[in-house]
Amino acid sequence: MTTSPSEKHSLSVSQRLATLAAAAFLGFGSVLGVGFYQNSRSEAALEKAIVAENGMRTAEEMRLASIELMLIAMDTIIDREERKIQPERAVQIKASLELLDAKTPDLEALARLLGKSGRLANFGSDLAEVRKAIEVDLKELVESGAPAGDFAPIDDAIDGGGERMNALLTELTEAAANLASKRTEEARAESRNALILQAVVGLLVMGSMLALIWFHGNALRRGILGLRDSMQRIHSGDLTSAVAALDRGDEIGEMARSVDLFRTAAMEKRSIEQKAAASRDEMEHERERQAAEREQAVARIKAAVDALGRALNQLAEGNLAVAIREPFEEGLDTLRRDFNNTVERLSHVLSNVKENVVSIDSNGRQMRSAADDLARRTERQAASLEQTSAALEEITVTVKTATNRAEEASRMVGETRINAEESGRIVSEAISAMARIEGASNEIGKIINVIDEIAFQTNLLALNAGVEAARAGEAGKGFAVVAQEVRELAQRAAGAAKDIKALVSRSGNEVETGVKLVQATGDALGRIGANVVRINEHMSSIVQAAREQSTGLNEINAAVSQLDQMTQQNAAMVEQTNAASHTLAQDAEKLSELLSQFRNGQVSETAMRAAAPAEAAPSIKTSPARSNTQAGASIAAAAKPVALRRPDTAQASTRPAPSPAKALMGKLAGAFGNTSVSVPSVTASGDNWEEF
Amino acid sequence: MSNAIKQSGAYLEIVSFHLGDQEFCIDIMAIREIRGWAPVTPMPHTPPYVLGLINLRGAVIPVIDMACRLGMKMTEPSERSAIIVTDINGKLVGLLVEQVSDMMTIRSEDLQPAPEIIPEAQRAFCRGIVALEKSMVCFLNLDTVIADELAQAA
Repeated sequence: MTTSPSEKHSLSVSQRLATLAAAAFLGFGSVLGVGFYQNSRSEAALEKAIVAENGMRTAEEMRLASIELMLIAMDTIIDREERKIQPERAVQIKASLELLDAKTPDLEALARLLGKSGRLANFGSDLAEVRKAIEVDLKELVESGAPAGDFAPIDDAIDGGGERMNALLTELTEAAANLASKRTEEARAESRNALILQAVVGLLVMGSMLALIWFHGNALRRGILGLRDSMQRIHSGDLTSAVAALDRGDEIGEMARSVDLFRTAAMEKRSIEQKAAASRDEMEHERERQAAEREQAVARIKAAVDALGRALNQLAEGNLAVAIREPFEEGLDTLRRDFNNTVERLSHVLSNVKENVVSIDSNGRQMRSAADDLARRTERQAASLEQTSAALEEITVTVKTATNRAEEASRMVGETRINAEESGRIVSEAISAMARIEGASNEIGKIINVIDEIAFQTNLLALNAGVEAARAGEAGKGFAVVAQEVRELAQRAAGAAKDIKALVSRSGNEVETGVKLVQATGDALGRIGANVVRINEHMSSIVQAAREQSTGLNEINAAVSQLDQMTQQNAAMVEQTNAASHTLAQDAEKLSELLSQFRNGQVSETAMRAAAPAEAAPSIKTSPARSNTQAGASIAAAAKPVALRRPDTAQASTRPAPSPAKALMGKLAGAFGNTSVSVPSVTASGDNWEEF
Repeated sequence: MSNAIKQSGAYLEIVSFHLGDQEFCIDIMAIREIRGWAPVTPMPHTPPYVLGLINLRGAVIPVIDMACRLGMKMTEPSERSAIIVTDINGKLVGLLVEQVSDMMTIRSEDLQPAPEIIPEAQRAFCRGIVALEKSMVCFLNLDTVIADELAQAA
């Protein structure tokens, strides 16, 4: 619930309903509480009455039991001749005593309730005395058959005790009866009080409820009625009067404020509509004023366009000195200035173009001479290529010869290798032959040793024979001589054997040396064989390389001939370029002539003739762009004859030129009339090159 | 024997042999036999020049290295070495020599006595010197060279 500072702090509708409900709840609660309280009180009173009544009943029962006890005792005394107590009497006695014992606590409670506890002080002793007299003494007396005189004290004791008990019990019974009736009365009074209290509380609650309902109902009704009246007024168009109940703090206050918002919104809307109508009128006026201004502007623009048109026509006629003097209106004056600037710039550009044309002319001449030089050099290049080709042919032949030689050498080397292997075999055979010689020498040595041995033994025998002969004296003289001879023979044999031995040993040494030499020869031959194999490999790689060289040379040959062909084509192209550069120079001259028409902004006579188709145009007032296109077309028409002549010059210039520029120029001059010159093919130009 | 040498005009038969570089000779009458080298059987407790014993057709004879006996270095026996079997005072002794070089006949006058500057004990080995054209040959006195030793050995 929103609250604003202005509104009164009053209860909202829900709070009002809540107070009503709370009051009703409180009222019913108090009625219920009073009823419950009073009921509990009358219940307590009734309870007390019942207790009193029960006590009265107990006292009565006890009194009857004690009377019965006494009566039985009397009967027993009377029937003492039987000398025993009859069993049914004994049972009754016992039951009565037990009853008395059992009810004694109840009796004490009753006495306390009645406030007569003091009266019960002797009840216990009385009961005990009676019990003793009846159960013990009387029984003994009866069974012993005592005389009648003996029964008197017992009888007195029983009677006395019984009387006292009886009196007490009777008194208690009466007192209890009184108490019970009094309590019942009290309970009744309590219930009456409760009824009255309940009625009073109920009335009070009803009254307060009514007052609350009246109060809240009035408050709500007043607010709603006020609001309804205000809304009716707004509906009928009265927006000035304020809305009622604006200051209330509850829901009705909120509704009133919402209605007030509606009212203010309606007022604002009305004022905005009035403002819109005013602005519409103002805009109408403005529009009319602008239309008038626009007409004036159109008139001014027309005047400016006319002036511009005149100036453009003059420009189209070639007058570059034209300028618009009188100023235009404010907005268009920039256009006039721009036109003047444009004309000025155009004049400037044309003079620049003129200078450039002069430059192009001189460059064209340079190009012409350069192209001539190029042509000459290309011819020389072609000749060099021819020579190169011939030289390559020779080299190819040489390389082929070299290849053949190399192959032959390879073959020879192979044979050499076989020979080397053969000689190796021979060497080994020689070595084995040497070994055999050595073996034979050894054999000879052995034989010589045998001979030497024989010679030695012979010598010894001869010595012994000599000795024997000497001992024989004269008789052995002859024998001694023989022995001497034999000794000499043996010594000669031994000397010869020694000589042979020396010879054999020398020959053995020689053989050994020979074997070594032969082995060295074998090794050398093996090395030669290996080298020959390597030489063979080298030779075959040389042959391979020579073959590859041959192939490469063939390719080079083909490339060179291609190069030759291309050079000849280049020569032809150079001729064409030459012709084109000549034409370019001429074109530059023509362009220079055309530009001279614009000198000083004055249209020259030739230019007037060249631009003849455009002469009709200036009188017509058209846009500058259109007149420009016509002028461009006229220039193109003027340039056309030159362009048409170009192929002729090109064809003429492809003819062979025997010498530099001057001769060519002469030929060119002659070629203009010569239309029968055919377009030369590449081969034709090549032929021309040959001539060159 | 000494008497025989002193007889003039008498001839002497000698056998020369080599010991190292030197040449010696002995009287041929003392020689019983010349034979080639054969291995010897060594004998214990003998002087170094007594090489040992050999068996000569059943007879056992001692072999003396003459080079060693004459104060030179020991002979190295080879196949060409020879053993000269001599009869010295009736006892057979083998003399090992390097080589038997010659058998010749000389005259008694050719035998010259050894120079007297050599002491007597040493001169007893030599009966004289035979001067030949090329060399000088010492004529050994086998009695002195061998006899003492044989006596000792006996």
